[in-house]
Amino acid sequence: MSRAKIAALILIPLLIVLASLFLGPRSINPLALDGVEREILLNIRLPRVLVAFLMGAALGASGAVLQGVLRNPLADPYILGISSGASLTAALGIIGGLTFLGAFTVPVLAFIGALATGSIVGVMGWKRGGLWPERLLLAGVGLSFLFSALLMLMMSISTDEGLRRAMLWIFGDLSLSEWKRVPYGLGFVLAGIVLSATRAKALNALILGDEFAYSLGFAPHRERFILFVSVGLMTAASVSLGGMIGFIGLLMPHIMRFFIGSDSRMLIPASALGGGALLCIADLISRSLLPPMELPAGVITAIIGAPYFLYLLRRKDVLSI
Amino acid sequence: MCSASRRNILELDGVDYAYGKRDRFIRGLSFSVGEGDFVGLLGANGSGKSTIMKLASGLLRPSAGSVRLWGRDLAAVGHRDRAKLISYLPQTLDINVPFTVGELVGMGLYPYDIPPAMTVAEALEMTGLTDKADARLTDLSGGERRRTFIAMTLLQGAGLLMLDEPLANLDIKYQIELVRLLRKLRLERNISVVMALHDINMALQFEKVMLVKEGNLIGEGSPENVLSRSMLKQAFDVDVEVRRSGNEGVYISLQDHF
Amino acid sequence: MKNLLFILLLSVVLPCSVSASEAASGPRRIVSLSPSTTEILYAMGLGDRIVGVTNYCDYPEEAKRKPKIGGMSNPSLEAVVTLKPDIVVLTKDGNPKEFEELLHSLRIRTVVFFSRRVSELPGGIRQLGSALQAEEGAEKLAGKIERDLQRLEAASRRASGASRQKVLFIVWPEPLIVAGPGTAIDDAITLLGDRNIAASAASTYPKYSLEEAIRQAPDVIAIGKGSGMDMVEVSRGLISRMTSVPAVRYNKVCYLGDGLYRLGPRIVPGIEELAQCLERKSPR
Repeated sequence: MSRAKIAALILIPLLIVLASLFLGPRSINPLALDGVEREILLNIRLPRVLVAFLMGAALGASGAVLQGVLRNPLADPYILGISSGASLTAALGIIGGLTFLGAFTVPVLAFIGALATGSIVGVMGWKRGGLWPERLLLAGVGLSFLFSALLMLMMSISTDEGLRRAMLWIFGDLSLSEWKRVPYGLGFVLAGIVLSATRAKALNALILGDEFAYSLGFAPHRERFILFVSVGLMTAASVSLGGMIGFIGLLMPHIMRFFIGSDSRMLIPASALGGGALLCIADLISRSLLPPMELPAGVITAIIGAPYFLYLLRRKDVLSI
Repeated sequence: MCSASRRNILELDGVDYAYGKRDRFIRGLSFSVGEGDFVGLLGANGSGKSTIMKLASGLLRPSAGSVRLWGRDLAAVGHRDRAKLISYLPQTLDINVPFTVGELVGMGLYPYDIPPAMTVAEALEMTGLTDKADARLTDLSGGERRRTFIAMTLLQGAGLLMLDEPLANLDIKYQIELVRLLRKLRLERNISVVMALHDINMALQFEKVMLVKEGNLIGEGSPENVLSRSMLKQAFDVDVEVRRSGNEGVYISLQDHF
Repeated sequence: MKNLLFILLLSVVLPCSVSASEAASGPRRIVSLSPSTTEILYAMGLGDRIVGVTNYCDYPEEAKRKPKIGGMSNPSLEAVVTLKPDIVVLTKDGNPKEFEELLHSLRIRTVVFFSRRVSELPGGIRQLGSALQAEEGAEKLAGKIERDLQRLEAASRRASGASRQKVLFIVWPEPLIVAGPGTAIDDAITLLGDRNIAASAASTYPKYSLEEAIRQAPDVIAIGKGSGMDMVEVSRGLISRMTSVPAVRYNKVCYLGDGLYRLGPRIVPGIEELAQCLERKSPR
């Protein structure tokens, strides 16, 4: 890793964060703020950009971890069914009009749904004293189907208005970002990133296989469990902050492998920075394309992400963990 | 055998093992490896060489009996401490991760907070990979890949190396070099090596061999004693003649079969 | 097999067409596929001819007791056919076009209520009236709505020469969904002489930028009724983030009923309710 790459990894996301803070359909000049502009900058854009960055960072990092844990280049944090579980409980709150925790009702419901799903997948993936990648993957895919079906069922019996709101949430909605959400988002996402980054050596070894990991002095099942928990926390926090954002978890680790290689010690933080930056850009675009209407940021990440992903697919070596 | 005075660093005593709910595959296995030993583990496909190596390094847990490393119960040794005592190199290396050679070899240092004497550069040099340090694992030939993992294992610096078929898909040149390198390290760094083997000719060059059949040791000792015509027939179900000649050393003859 | 199907089909369709042709005063069995047409039919005095409504038809009270045929976007063909309707009333936006074609293939007559804007409402009512051979009731209703709209426009703030206020009509607070161009709500705001700040948005009910809503500094915020939810509670978070806009500062935030959501007879009380909100000067 050259110094230039490290500098680029920090500077480019920083510039993107600043751009999404000050640019948009109407740019804000930080040197000439009137009262309204100041309020918009401090109470609307700043928390929104922070939440976007946290969500993207959580997805990028958990994608990098999960592709390694499952030894599968096509894994993304949503493959474990965590997001469909969160969507189901969130939609329940939105369509059912639950408000028992005020503005926190839907995020808390989503978080509970995500953690519950993660736990079910963990229990299903557990056999003979540990988690097994194939079992986790299949349990996650199976649960995803079940929860998606239940979600469809709920949507087909809901009113058109409730349906639309649920759809907006599921496609990722950053307009709900406010300061109240930042501390808990920061707490869980940072905890997940730190937890997984401290296990990065074990992750590298697990990527080689359980026998190598064991020989290098790790307990494969214990390490895999810790990494799985960190992915669960980050994904749950991300989904609960603003719904489902496609492609970052799948795509960002691959882009970063292309630039900095496969060593998880660099890949996890780099995917977090890259994921945060990508979602900030996507949100900037979603605000700017048809103002004053806002498009779902999750749709934009997929529209930017999918073609780039297909382009990478044409290149050798990149589509591996 | 001169190992009588050396202390045993690996002792298996009455080890039983069964895969899943099937019948016991290994019954009452007992053997020991002394400090500085260089042992070839020989047997037909499916004879249990890998199982024995995994039991000895703790990857598989025996259903009965004990495994002791340097006199300590293997199950009671912490994972990182164990990795400094024994390392197991699996046979299959079907790893499709574009780690660079340098990155992968460097993983040998994972058990350490303070790196041991050997450096990545030295490990690469020993295995002839210095100019491949930045190459990706996915771009290497089978032999280069094998040597990369050997370099990682050497860097890990354990006192006992359990190498599962390390000579598989290596050119004869690198087979010879690897065996010579390991012998040299045995002397310089006082390491012990147990190596699973297929090649009877190569086994004949070892000081000590163990012959395995259906999960049991059927012979243990110097190749001259163990690799007799009758023993080989028993282990491999093939009739080969072991020839000794002053100039050419020891080898098996396949002449009668063609 | 084909014959059998045909006979079965006839046995379903025939009695309706017979009764339709026999009755001098038009179709006796009407199915209404939207809440607004249900309200219009009741207001035209055809309530006792309605034999089926959607799950969302909750006004007037009697409508709730009519047999249900499913939702607007997903009505049940079977349920509709079982009710042996002489005619089915659809709306242009709310019901799928394919459903109308399915009804035609079963030889069930349909009429499509085309109105989308407030100004199109009387015309739409008259068209329904002629299709249902209830011209008299339709004319009475349409005429009354026309007179009411004229009266409201004449009494509006524009007519009295007041400056135009900027209005934000919130359909849902989080995420912020507002009434945009081409809606009856936009028409009502314009008719009353004020300006909908979301009138230039790209869709009828856009998800609106919160910062743009603050920048536009609406003088009045009207919040529509959500299905069975306490909108004061639901909107609390949003309002607390908009404290700088005049509407919140001068307490011109009002919570309305669902009159403006349905292009039917209750649009008039809906506009009156909005007018009261717009004209409110002093804090509550």
